[in-house]
Amino acid sequence: MGEKVMVKGTEAIGEAAIRAGCRVYFGYPITPQSELTEYMSRRMEEVGGVFLQAESEVATVNMMYGASSVGARVMTSTSSPGFSLMQEGISYMANAQLPAVFVDVVRGGPGLGDIQPSQGDYFQIVKGGGHGDYRLPVYSPSSLQEAVELTIHAFDVADKYRTPVVIFADGMMGQMMEPVEFPEPIDPGTIPEKDWALTGAKGREARYVTSFDIDPYKLEKMNLELQEKYKKIIEEEQKWEEFMTEDIEVLFVAHGTVGRIVKSAVKIAREKGIKAGLFRPISLFPFPYKRLSELSEKVDVVMTVEMSSGQMLEDVKLAVLGKARTPFYGRLAGVIPTPNEIFEALMKELRR
Amino acid sequence: MKKNMAFVGMFGSGKTEIAINMAVKLAKKGERVALADLDYVSPYFRSREKKPLMEEFGIEVVVPPGKYIWADTPIIPPETFGILSNKNIVAILDVGGEEDGIAVLGYLRAFMKYTAVYFVVNTRRPFTNTVDNIIRYYEKLKSRARVDFDYLVSNTNLGSSTTEDIIKEGEKTMEEVSKRTGIPVAFTAVPDFLEDCDCRFEKFVVERYMKLSW
Repeated sequence: MGEKVMVKGTEAIGEAAIRAGCRVYFGYPITPQSELTEYMSRRMEEVGGVFLQAESEVATVNMMYGASSVGARVMTSTSSPGFSLMQEGISYMANAQLPAVFVDVVRGGPGLGDIQPSQGDYFQIVKGGGHGDYRLPVYSPSSLQEAVELTIHAFDVADKYRTPVVIFADGMMGQMMEPVEFPEPIDPGTIPEKDWALTGAKGREARYVTSFDIDPYKLEKMNLELQEKYKKIIEEEQKWEEFMTEDIEVLFVAHGTVGRIVKSAVKIAREKGIKAGLFRPISLFPFPYKRLSELSEKVDVVMTVEMSSGQMLEDVKLAVLGKARTPFYGRLAGVIPTPNEIFEALMKELRR
Repeated sequence: MKKNMAFVGMFGSGKTEIAINMAVKLAKKGERVALADLDYVSPYFRSREKKPLMEEFGIEVVVPPGKYIWADTPIIPPETFGILSNKNIVAILDVGGEEDGIAVLGYLRAFMKYTAVYFVVNTRRPFTNTVDNIIRYYEKLKSRARVDFDYLVSNTNLGSSTTEDIIKEGEKTMEEVSKRTGIPVAFTAVPDFLEDCDCRFEKFVVERYMKLSW
C-alpha cells in the first residue's frame, strides 16, 4: 500500500480501476459522477490507456462490448438515467459473457429526478434492468477504502466469471472525501490471457462472441450455461459486514452509505440500552440470504433502512421468511436519513 | 487595495472550508462580510449548505434564488457584482473547482479590481501531489480564469487523519511552488485539533463546517 491521499469517491473508484489494470474507459458525463469520467480522461493519458467520451450512454455500452470482446479490462461510470440507457447493451454483454465493470452513482429519480444521492435503483441494478434471464454481480461500498477494494475485486470477478459487474454507489459515496490508501498497481501485462477473446484467428479455430442463436434448443443451452454460472456465483461470492451483532435484540439491514449512517443509529440505540446491530450486505447479488436468515432467528424485529421506498426490503423478507417482523424506514428522491431519524423509526416500531 | 478574496483551486482542495472559515473569522472581528457561492460545478458539499449558519454570524450569503440552490447550473447571482464593488463590504468568493469552475472569474473580470485571488492547494490530493503538477494546474487555471493569482494557500490535509508532519510536508512543497511562481504563500490552513503546531507561514486555524451528518 502507498501513502494516504485525500480523494473523492469518484476519484477513488477511478484510481482503483487503473490499479486493477483497466486501460480502456468509455463514458458520458452525468452528475453526480462526472468527476470520475474527468479523472479517467486525465489518468488514461498518463498511463497510456484509452479514454473516449462517447456520444451517449447507448454508444458507451456498445463500445464496451467491443473492447471487452477483444480481451480488454474495460470500465464505464454513469448515474441513474444514463444506466437506464445502457440496459440493452448490458443484457447483450451478459449473454455474450463479456467481462466489464459498470459504476452507477445513483441519484434521485424517477425520470430526470434530481442530482442528490439515492438508492432507488436497487431493482434496476440488482434484479436486472435489461431483458432476459440474466444476473449481474453487484457490490455496494460504504467507505472510500472499501470502494477501492471492491472496484479491484469487481475486475477479478468480471474476468473469472465472464460477466459484467456493477459497483452500486450513491451520489454521497461519489462526492464525499476521505483519506484512502491504494494498493500497488498491477501490470496489465500480467492479467491472464483470455482464451475466448477475439484476437485474430490466424493459425487457430475461429472464436465467436455473441448473444444470439436462432435455434431455440441451442439458445436454451446458452441460457442454462448462464444459470450454472450464477449458481456458482451465489455459492462463492457472497459478501457482508456484521456490526455489533453478537448480542442483538433488534437488527438493522442497510447497504452502502446508509449502512454507515445506520452504524450511528446503532450506537444511539446502544446508549439507550437497546441491543441493536447492523447487517450490511456488500454483495447485493449474490444477496447473503443465508447469514441474514440465521441472524433473524435471534430477533423479533429486522428493520430495513434505504434511500428508496423499500426495494432491498424484498430480499430481506426472502431471507427472514416471516421469522421476525420486517418494518421499513426510507427517505426518497435524494433526501438522506439522519441517525436520529432512524433511531426514532426503530423506537416507534418497538413501541407497537 | 484588494479588499475581497476569491478562493480557487482544484476539486476538493478545501476552497469551501477556507472560504467559510474566513468569512466567519472576519465577521467575528466586526467586518461587514458577504460570501458568494459561485460553485456551479459540484452537486453538493457547497458553501450554500451552510447559509443558515453563516447568517447567524451576520454574513450575507449570495446564492442562486429559491430552488435553484440545488442545481449545478451556471447561475451567477446579480448581487455578486454589488458585493465585489461595494467598498464597505468584504466579499469572499467560493469558486468551483478546476478549469470549468474557475471560468466564472473571467466573466467577473471587470469587477475583480478589488479582489485578491488565492490558489488553494492540498498536496495530498491527486494531480496536485508534486511541485510540477501544482504548477501545471496553476497555469491551466490562471489562463482559464483570465485573472492573475495573488497568493498561494497551503492546505495539505487528510481530514480528521491530518498530522503535523503532513502539514509540514505540504508547506515544503508550497514553498518550492512559491519560489517558482513568484507569488507568496498567504497562510497555512491548520485544523483546530492541531492549532498549536509550528508553521513556516502564517497560521490560519480552520474549524470543519462541511461535516457529514453521521
